Amino acid sequence: MMAMQTEELNGGYKGDKPFSIEVEHRPEAVVVWLAGSCTMTVAAQLGERLVQLASEPAPLIVVDMAGLDFIESTGLGGLVAGYLRSRRYRNEVRLVSLQPSIHHLFELTRLTQLFRVFDTLDDALAAEPIGP
Amino acid sequence: MQELKEIIVPNDLMAAKRPEEVILREVAECSFCDNAAFAIKLALEEAMTNAFRHGNRRDPSKHITVQYDVTKDRVEIVVQDEGDGFDPDQIPDPTQFEFIDRPHGRGIMLMRSYLDEVVFSDGGSSVRLVKHNR
Repeated sequence: MMAMQTEELNGGYKGDKPFSIEVEHRPEAVVVWLAGSCTMTVAAQLGERLVQLASEPAPLIVVDMAGLDFIESTGLGGLVAGYLRSRRYRNEVRLVSLQPSIHHLFELTRLTQLFRVFDTLDDALAAEPIGP
Repeated sequence: MQELKEIIVPNDLMAAKRPEEVILREVAECSFCDNAAFAIKLALEEAMTNAFRHGNRRDPSKHITVQYDVTKDRVEIVVQDEGDGFDPDQIPDPTQFEFIDRPHGRGIMLMRSYLDEVVFSDGGSSVRLVKHNR
């Protein structure tokens, strides 16, 4: 598990990084790469895309968040919406490579109870499916 | 008591980014750590989204007023919408088992988790946010 950094130097003002959602369809899973800042102006896109992907016949969606530096509650809700749609089709959504600040957010909201979180994409792809 | 600066923006999420950028620039200038800057940004986005969506009900004719003061010791922000308000105590705890899989309802909990003070007033149409620089 990644530890929350306890001390950081001020790095100056950092504006939002462009938010992107990249999707790769693999035989065993759909891999989604999130990058940039999932702010209030773009967050709705995440839920729309994940629900769309979770409605397709794929047993597994793996969301790699290594490049994601910010997400707010609408973005979190989008992940939950994708999770709910995936459960409807008995699929699963797994998360990979959360940055410490994002991991802390998931622990605070207890969304770690909904999603399995892995350190690497390979780990997420290799894990056994959860039971029905 | 320090007088707060004020920015009034149309009820639009893109416009709502402007006060955020202004405040976060001052936060950086006052040497807040990255974790504190993350917390302020998150809370402000939640407050602005609530004002846009729930307070002003996406009405483009309405406005959001942001008052703020940033010092080396603390950030104080007041976000005011033109809606009818709400009772924040009626919002269920999204970390409770029966609410965890709900897509919505985490904004207020996040504000309270990341900031030192979150106080609603004017029947819920105004929220005061405070983060100390430690």
